[in-house]
Amino acid sequence: MAVNIDSDKCGHIQDCPVQGLCIKLCEQGAIIEENGDVSIVPENCDDCDLCIQNCPNQAISKA
Amino acid sequence: MFNIERNGEEHRKLSYKDNKCVGCGICTDVCPTSSLRLGPIVPIARGLIEMDLVSVNQDSCVFCGLCSVACPFDALSLSINGESIKNNKNYPFWETESEVNDEECMYCGKCHEVCPRDSILFERHLPNPADLVRGEIEINKDKCIYCSFCADMCPAGAITIKNIPTSTVDMLNNSIEVDLSKCIFCGVCKRVCPENAIKQICSTCMLREEIEVPEITGETIILEDSCVNCSWCSEICPVDAITVTKPFSGKLELIEEEEKVCKGDSCHACQDVCPCNAVSIVDGKSVTNLDFCNLCGACVTACPQDIRILTRTDMKLNNINSESWSEILNTLVGK
Repeated sequence: MAVNIDSDKCGHIQDCPVQGLCIKLCEQGAIIEENGDVSIVPENCDDCDLCIQNCPNQAISKA
Repeated sequence: MFNIERNGEEHRKLSYKDNKCVGCGICTDVCPTSSLRLGPIVPIARGLIEMDLVSVNQDSCVFCGLCSVACPFDALSLSINGESIKNNKNYPFWETESEVNDEECMYCGKCHEVCPRDSILFERHLPNPADLVRGEIEINKDKCIYCSFCADMCPAGAITIKNIPTSTVDMLNNSIEVDLSKCIFCGVCKRVCPENAIKQICSTCMLREEIEVPEITGETIILEDSCVNCSWCSEICPVDAITVTKPFSGKLELIEEEEKVCKGDSCHACQDVCPCNAVSIVDGKSVTNLDFCNLCGACVTACPQDIRILTRTDMKLNNINSESWSEILNTLVGK
Protein backbone atom coordinates (compact mmCIF):
# COMPACT_ATOMS: atom_id res chain seq x y z
CA MET A 1 0.00 0.00 0.00
CA ALA A 2 2.36 2.70 1.28
CA VAL A 3 1.88 6.39 0.63
CA ASN A 4 2.43 8.93 -2.13
CA ILE A 5 4.09 12.29 -1.69
CA ASP A 6 2.86 15.11 -3.89
CA SER A 7 6.11 16.65 -5.04
CA ASP A 8 4.50 20.03 -5.73
CA LYS A 9 3.14 20.36 -2.20
CA CYS A 10 6.07 18.76 -0.34
CA GLY A 11 8.58 21.07 1.31
CA HIS A 12 11.41 18.69 0.39
CA ILE A 13 13.04 18.86 3.82
CA GLN A 14 14.63 22.24 3.12
CA ASP A 15 11.32 24.11 2.92
CA CYS A 16 9.40 21.85 5.31
CA PRO A 17 8.48 23.79 8.48
CA VAL A 18 9.99 20.97 10.50
CA GLN A 19 12.73 19.91 8.05
CA GLY A 20 11.17 16.59 7.18
CA LEU A 21 8.51 16.00 9.84
CA CYS A 22 7.31 12.81 8.13
CA ILE A 23 10.81 11.33 8.31
CA LYS A 24 11.00 12.12 12.01
CA LEU A 25 7.51 10.78 12.72
CA CYS A 26 7.84 7.48 10.87
CA GLU A 27 9.43 4.95 13.17
CA GLN A 28 9.21 2.20 10.56
CA GLY A 29 11.88 3.72 8.34
CA ALA A 30 9.34 3.94 5.54
CA ILE A 31 10.12 7.60 4.89
CA ILE A 32 13.79 8.41 4.73
CA GLU A 33 16.11 11.16 3.64
CA GLU A 34 17.87 10.38 0.40
CA ASN A 35 20.08 12.85 -1.45
CA GLY A 36 18.63 15.71 0.57
CA ASP A 37 15.05 14.85 -0.32
CA VAL A 38 12.23 12.75 1.10
CA SER A 39 12.10 9.21 -0.15
CA ILE A 40 9.59 6.40 0.47
CA VAL A 41 10.53 2.82 1.25
CA PRO A 42 7.17 1.12 0.50
CA GLU A 43 8.08 -2.26 1.97
CA ASN A 44 8.60 -0.66 5.39
CA CYS A 45 5.28 1.18 5.41
CA ASP A 46 2.75 -0.10 7.92
CA ASP A 47 -0.09 2.16 6.70
CA CYS A 48 -0.43 3.82 10.06
CA ASP A 49 -1.17 7.14 8.28
CA LEU A 50 0.63 9.17 10.91
CA CYS A 51 2.58 10.99 8.17
CA ILE A 52 -0.61 11.70 6.20
CA GLN A 53 -2.30 13.19 9.23
CA ASN A 54 0.61 15.33 10.33
CA CYS A 55 2.23 16.63 7.10
CA PRO A 56 2.12 20.42 7.46
CA ASN A 57 1.76 20.76 3.69
CA GLN A 58 -0.89 18.04 3.26
CA ALA A 59 1.43 16.55 0.67
CA ILE A 60 1.05 12.90 1.65
CA SER A 61 -1.81 10.62 0.64
CA LYS A 62 -2.55 6.94 0.46
CA ALA A 63 -1.00 5.22 -2.56
CA MET B 1 1.09 30.97 26.03
CA PHE B 2 -0.95 33.87 24.78
CA ASN B 3 -2.81 36.82 26.21
CA ILE B 4 -5.24 38.75 24.06
CA GLU B 5 -7.42 41.58 25.20
CA ARG B 6 -10.07 44.00 24.02
CA ASN B 7 -11.38 47.22 25.45
CA GLY B 8 -14.98 48.28 25.24
CA GLU B 9 -17.53 48.90 27.90
CA GLU B 10 -15.60 46.21 29.69
CA HIS B 11 -11.98 45.18 29.49
CA ARG B 12 -11.85 41.52 28.51
CA LYS B 13 -8.72 39.45 28.44
CA LEU B 14 -8.23 35.83 27.39
CA SER B 15 -5.13 34.08 28.71
CA TYR B 16 -3.82 30.71 27.64
CA LYS B 17 -1.24 28.74 29.55
CA ASP B 18 0.38 26.05 27.45
CA ASN B 19 1.84 24.26 30.48
CA LYS B 20 -1.69 23.46 31.69
CA CYS B 21 -3.01 22.50 28.26
CA VAL B 22 -3.22 18.80 27.38
CA GLY B 23 -4.19 19.28 23.74
CA CYS B 24 -7.65 17.77 24.14
CA GLY B 25 -9.32 20.23 21.77
CA ILE B 26 -12.37 20.84 23.96
CA CYS B 27 -11.87 24.61 23.60
CA THR B 28 -11.78 24.42 19.83
CA ASP B 29 -14.91 22.26 19.90
CA VAL B 30 -16.93 24.83 21.83
CA CYS B 31 -15.59 28.07 20.32
CA PRO B 32 -18.59 29.64 18.57
CA THR B 33 -16.42 31.67 16.19
CA SER B 34 -13.85 28.98 15.35
CA SER B 35 -11.15 31.29 16.61
CA LEU B 36 -9.14 28.65 18.42
CA ARG B 37 -7.00 26.16 16.58
CA LEU B 38 -5.46 22.98 17.87
CA GLY B 39 -1.88 22.54 16.70
CA PRO B 40 -0.11 19.33 15.64
CA ILE B 41 -0.43 17.54 18.97
CA VAL B 42 1.49 14.40 18.07
CA PRO B 43 4.67 16.13 16.80
CA ILE B 44 4.45 18.51 19.77
CA ALA B 45 4.06 15.61 22.24
CA ARG B 46 7.08 13.92 20.68
CA GLY B 47 9.14 17.08 20.98
CA LEU B 48 9.56 17.41 17.19
CA ILE B 49 7.89 20.81 17.09
CA GLU B 50 8.05 23.43 19.77
CA MET B 51 4.89 25.45 19.80
CA ASP B 52 1.75 25.99 21.84
CA LEU B 53 -0.88 23.28 21.54
CA VAL B 54 -3.59 25.88 20.96
CA SER B 55 -3.45 29.14 19.03
CA VAL B 56 -6.02 31.91 18.68
CA ASN B 57 -7.17 34.23 15.93
CA GLN B 58 -7.52 37.41 17.92
CA ASP B 59 -9.36 39.18 15.13
CA SER B 60 -12.30 36.78 15.24
CA CYS B 61 -12.35 35.98 18.98
CA VAL B 62 -15.35 37.61 20.63
CA PHE B 63 -14.04 37.12 24.19
CA CYS B 64 -17.21 35.27 25.20
CA GLY B 65 -15.36 32.98 27.62
CA LEU B 66 -16.90 29.69 26.54
CA CYS B 67 -13.45 28.16 26.05
CA SER B 68 -12.42 29.37 29.46
CA VAL B 69 -15.27 27.63 31.27
CA ALA B 70 -15.16 24.51 29.07
CA CYS B 71 -11.47 23.80 29.65
CA PRO B 72 -11.35 21.19 32.43
CA PHE B 73 -7.65 21.90 32.95
CA ASP B 74 -7.77 25.63 33.50
CA ALA B 75 -5.50 26.32 30.53
CA LEU B 76 -7.74 29.12 29.31
CA SER B 77 -9.02 31.92 31.42
CA LEU B 78 -11.18 34.89 30.53
CA SER B 79 -11.18 37.88 32.81
CA ILE B 80 -13.60 40.77 32.73
CA ASN B 81 -12.29 44.01 34.18
CA GLY B 82 -9.47 42.11 35.82
CA GLU B 83 -11.67 39.45 37.47
CA SER B 84 -11.53 35.86 36.19
CA ILE B 85 -14.98 34.60 35.26
CA LYS B 86 -14.04 31.44 37.15
CA ASN B 87 -14.57 33.44 40.32
CA ASN B 88 -17.89 34.81 39.13
CA LYS B 89 -20.86 32.89 40.54
CA ASN B 90 -22.90 33.50 37.40
CA TYR B 91 -20.53 31.44 35.28
CA PRO B 92 -20.23 27.65 35.07
CA PHE B 93 -17.49 25.90 37.02
CA TRP B 94 -15.90 22.47 37.13
CA GLU B 95 -16.47 20.38 40.23
CA THR B 96 -13.40 18.28 39.59
CA GLU B 97 -10.89 17.63 42.33
CA SER B 98 -8.08 15.45 43.53
CA GLU B 99 -7.79 15.56 47.30
CA VAL B 100 -5.60 13.83 49.83
CA ASN B 101 -7.11 13.05 53.21
CA ASP B 102 -4.26 13.80 55.59
CA GLU B 103 -5.86 11.71 58.33
CA GLU B 104 -5.79 8.60 56.18
CA CYS B 105 -2.52 9.08 54.29
CA MET B 106 0.23 6.67 55.41
CA TYR B 107 2.95 8.49 53.46
CA CYS B 108 3.93 5.53 51.34
CA GLY B 109 4.66 7.79 48.37
CA LYS B 110 3.19 5.50 45.72
CA CYS B 111 0.95 8.29 44.39
CA HIS B 112 3.99 10.51 43.95
CA GLU B 113 5.74 7.80 41.94
CA VAL B 114 2.87 7.06 39.56
CA CYS B 115 1.52 10.57 38.93
CA PRO B 116 1.91 11.12 35.17
CA ARG B 117 1.96 14.90 35.63
CA ASP B 118 4.50 15.04 38.46
CA SER B 119 1.76 16.85 40.34
CA ILE B 120 2.24 15.26 43.73
CA LEU B 121 4.68 16.65 46.23
CA PHE B 122 5.60 14.13 48.84
CA GLU B 123 7.91 13.96 51.80
CA ARG B 124 8.03 11.82 54.91
CA HIS B 125 10.04 11.64 58.06
CA LEU B 126 11.08 8.13 59.03
CA PRO B 127 12.39 7.33 62.50
CA ASN B 128 16.01 6.50 63.10
CA PRO B 129 16.35 2.67 63.11
CA ALA B 130 18.60 2.96 66.17
CA ASP B 131 15.64 4.33 68.14
CA LEU B 132 13.69 1.15 67.48
CA VAL B 133 16.27 -1.34 68.73
CA ARG B 134 18.19 -1.96 71.93
CA GLY B 135 21.44 -3.80 72.43
CA GLU B 136 25.15 -3.66 72.87
CA ILE B 137 28.13 -4.33 70.69
CA GLU B 138 31.82 -4.38 71.51
CA ILE B 139 34.86 -5.22 69.43
CA ASN B 140 37.99 -6.48 71.07
CA LYS B 141 40.70 -4.67 69.14
CA ASP B 142 43.42 -6.92 70.51
CA LYS B 143 41.77 -9.95 68.99
CA CYS B 144 40.61 -8.26 65.74
CA ILE B 145 42.75 -9.02 62.68
CA TYR B 146 40.92 -6.45 60.49
CA CYS B 147 39.90 -9.08 57.95
CA SER B 148 36.81 -7.03 57.10
CA PHE B 149 34.40 -9.99 57.07
CA CYS B 150 32.11 -8.19 59.51
CA ALA B 151 32.13 -4.88 57.64
CA ASP B 152 31.44 -6.54 54.31
CA MET B 153 28.57 -8.57 55.72
CA CYS B 154 26.95 -6.04 58.02
CA PRO B 155 23.43 -5.59 56.54
CA ALA B 156 23.18 -2.12 58.05
CA GLY B 157 26.55 -0.93 56.77
CA ALA B 158 27.40 0.08 60.32
CA ILE B 159 31.02 -1.11 60.45
CA THR B 160 33.92 0.86 59.00
CA ILE B 161 37.32 -0.76 58.76
CA LYS B 162 40.64 0.65 57.68
CA ASN B 163 43.11 -2.13 57.09
CA ILE B 164 45.35 -1.07 54.19
CA PRO B 165 48.70 0.61 54.91
CA THR B 166 48.90 4.18 53.71
CA SER B 167 52.70 4.08 53.39
CA THR B 168 55.73 1.87 54.03
CA VAL B 169 56.30 3.53 57.39
CA ASP B 170 52.73 2.98 58.47
CA MET B 171 52.14 -0.74 58.02
CA LEU B 172 49.72 -1.03 60.92
CA ASN B 173 47.18 1.62 59.97
CA ASN B 174 44.25 -0.41 61.28
CA SER B 175 41.00 0.79 62.73
CA ILE B 176 37.49 -0.56 63.21
CA GLU B 177 34.44 1.48 64.18
CA VAL B 178 30.79 0.61 64.69
CA ASP B 179 28.30 3.35 63.90
CA LEU B 180 25.72 2.94 66.67
CA SER B 181 23.17 5.03 64.78
CA LYS B 182 23.10 2.26 62.16
CA CYS B 183 23.79 -0.95 64.14
CA ILE B 184 20.66 -3.04 64.74
CA PHE B 185 22.41 -5.63 66.93
CA CYS B 186 21.59 -8.45 64.54
CA GLY B 187 24.76 -10.36 65.35
CA VAL B 188 25.88 -11.21 61.82
CA CYS B 189 29.31 -9.66 62.59
CA LYS B 190 29.74 -11.79 65.65
CA ARG B 191 28.86 -14.96 63.80
CA VAL B 192 31.16 -14.25 60.87
CA CYS B 193 34.16 -13.12 62.96
CA PRO B 194 36.93 -15.76 62.63
CA GLU B 195 38.70 -14.48 65.76
CA ASN B 196 35.72 -14.34 68.12
CA ALA B 197 36.55 -10.65 68.65
CA ILE B 198 33.00 -9.32 68.70
CA LYS B 199 30.56 -9.33 71.58
CA GLN B 200 26.98 -8.49 70.76
CA ILE B 201 23.74 -8.59 72.68
CA CYS B 202 20.31 -7.80 71.28
CA SER B 203 17.79 -6.83 73.91
CA THR B 204 15.17 -5.40 71.54
CA CYS B 205 12.62 -8.12 72.24
CA MET B 206 13.22 -8.09 75.93
CA LEU B 207 12.81 -4.32 76.14
CA ARG B 208 10.06 -4.03 73.52
CA GLU B 209 7.65 -2.49 76.00
CA GLU B 210 9.85 0.53 76.50
CA ILE B 211 10.48 1.15 72.81
CA GLU B 212 8.07 3.77 71.58
CA VAL B 213 5.92 2.97 68.59
CA PRO B 214 7.28 5.27 65.88
CA GLU B 215 5.09 7.91 64.39
CA ILE B 216 5.72 8.42 60.71
CA THR B 217 4.86 11.92 59.65
CA GLY B 218 4.92 13.59 56.29
CA GLU B 219 3.08 15.57 53.71
CA THR B 220 1.39 14.66 50.43
CA ILE B 221 0.22 17.56 48.33
CA ILE B 222 -1.54 17.43 44.97
CA LEU B 223 -0.74 20.46 42.84
CA GLU B 224 -4.04 21.61 41.40
CA ASP B 225 -2.24 23.56 38.69
CA SER B 226 -0.91 20.58 36.81
CA CYS B 227 -3.22 17.76 38.00
CA VAL B 228 -5.51 16.40 35.27
CA ASN B 229 -7.67 14.26 37.59
CA CYS B 230 -6.61 10.99 36.00
CA SER B 231 -7.04 8.91 39.20
CA TRP B 232 -3.67 7.18 39.14
CA CYS B 233 -3.09 8.39 42.70
CA SER B 234 -6.44 7.29 44.08
CA GLU B 235 -6.28 3.93 42.30
CA ILE B 236 -2.80 3.14 43.63
CA CYS B 237 -3.37 4.43 47.18
CA PRO B 238 -3.37 1.39 49.50
CA VAL B 239 -5.44 3.13 52.18
CA ASP B 240 -7.98 4.97 50.00
CA ALA B 241 -6.75 8.34 51.20
CA ILE B 242 -7.22 10.11 47.87
CA THR B 243 -10.49 11.17 46.31
CA VAL B 244 -10.60 12.11 42.64
CA THR B 245 -13.56 13.56 40.83
CA LYS B 246 -12.96 13.30 37.10
CA PRO B 247 -14.32 15.86 34.66
CA PHE B 248 -16.30 13.36 32.60
CA SER B 249 -17.94 9.99 32.85
CA GLY B 250 -18.37 7.78 29.84
CA LYS B 251 -16.25 5.43 27.81
CA LEU B 252 -13.57 5.28 25.16
CA GLU B 253 -13.52 2.41 22.74
CA LEU B 254 -11.30 1.25 19.94
CA ILE B 255 -13.54 0.26 17.09
CA GLU B 256 -11.68 -1.17 14.12
CA GLU B 257 -13.08 -1.55 10.65
CA GLU B 258 -11.85 -3.37 7.58
CA GLU B 259 -9.75 -0.47 6.33
CA LYS B 260 -9.10 1.17 9.68
CA VAL B 261 -6.93 -0.83 12.00
CA CYS B 262 -4.85 0.14 15.02
CA LYS B 263 -1.16 -0.05 14.05
CA GLY B 264 -0.01 -0.20 17.64
CA ASP B 265 3.76 0.08 17.98
CA SER B 266 4.25 1.67 14.55
CA CYS B 267 2.08 4.63 15.47
CA HIS B 268 1.44 4.94 19.24
CA ALA B 269 0.18 8.51 18.72
CA CYS B 270 -2.53 7.93 21.35
CA GLN B 271 0.01 6.91 23.95
CA ASP B 272 2.20 9.92 23.23
CA VAL B 273 -0.53 12.53 23.64
CA CYS B 274 -2.34 10.95 26.61
CA PRO B 275 -1.86 13.26 29.61
CA CYS B 276 -2.99 10.48 31.94
CA ASN B 277 -0.58 7.70 31.02
CA ALA B 278 -3.71 5.61 30.48
CA VAL B 279 -2.71 4.10 27.14
CA SER B 280 -0.47 1.10 26.56
CA ILE B 281 0.32 -0.83 23.41
CA VAL B 282 -0.46 -4.47 24.19
CA ASP B 283 0.16 -7.15 21.55
CA GLY B 284 0.35 -4.50 18.85
CA LYS B 285 -2.88 -2.73 19.77
CA SER B 286 -3.69 0.35 21.76
CA VAL B 287 -5.30 -0.47 25.08
CA THR B 288 -6.76 2.28 27.26
CA ASN B 289 -7.29 1.69 30.94
CA LEU B 290 -10.41 3.72 31.68
CA ASP B 291 -9.58 3.76 35.39
CA PHE B 292 -6.83 6.25 34.58
CA CYS B 293 -8.46 8.01 31.60
CA ASN B 294 -10.09 11.39 32.13
CA LEU B 295 -11.90 11.19 28.78
CA CYS B 296 -10.25 14.38 27.55
CA GLY B 297 -10.20 13.10 23.99
CA ALA B 298 -6.64 14.08 23.00
CA CYS B 299 -5.99 10.55 21.74
CA VAL B 300 -9.11 10.68 19.58
CA THR B 301 -7.70 13.69 17.72
CA ALA B 302 -4.25 12.12 17.54
CA CYS B 303 -5.32 8.78 16.08
CA PRO B 304 -4.62 8.85 12.33
CA GLN B 305 -6.94 5.88 11.82
CA ASP B 306 -9.85 7.67 13.47
CA ILE B 307 -10.92 4.53 15.30
CA ARG B 308 -11.10 5.83 18.86
CA ILE B 309 -14.69 6.42 19.81
CA LEU B 310 -15.24 8.63 22.82
CA THR B 311 -18.67 8.62 24.42
CA ARG B 312 -19.05 11.05 27.28
CA THR B 313 -22.29 10.65 29.19
CA ASP B 314 -21.91 13.23 31.92
CA MET B 315 -19.64 16.03 33.05
CA LYS B 316 -18.86 17.85 36.26
CA LEU B 317 -19.35 21.28 34.72
CA ASN B 318 -22.07 22.85 36.77
CA ASN B 319 -23.96 26.10 37.08
CA ILE B 320 -24.62 26.53 33.35
CA ASN B 321 -27.24 29.25 33.47
CA SER B 322 -27.45 30.45 29.89
CA GLU B 323 -29.55 28.43 27.45
CA SER B 324 -27.24 29.07 24.51
CA TRP B 325 -24.16 28.14 26.52
CA SER B 326 -25.91 25.06 27.81
CA GLU B 327 -26.60 24.01 24.24
CA ILE B 328 -22.97 24.40 23.20
CA LEU B 329 -21.40 22.97 26.36
CA ASN B 330 -23.69 19.97 26.38
CA THR B 331 -22.34 18.93 22.98
CA LEU B 332 -19.28 17.81 24.96
CA VAL B 333 -21.38 15.07 26.49
CA GLY B 334 -23.32 14.31 23.34
CA LYS B 335 -26.45 16.09 24.45
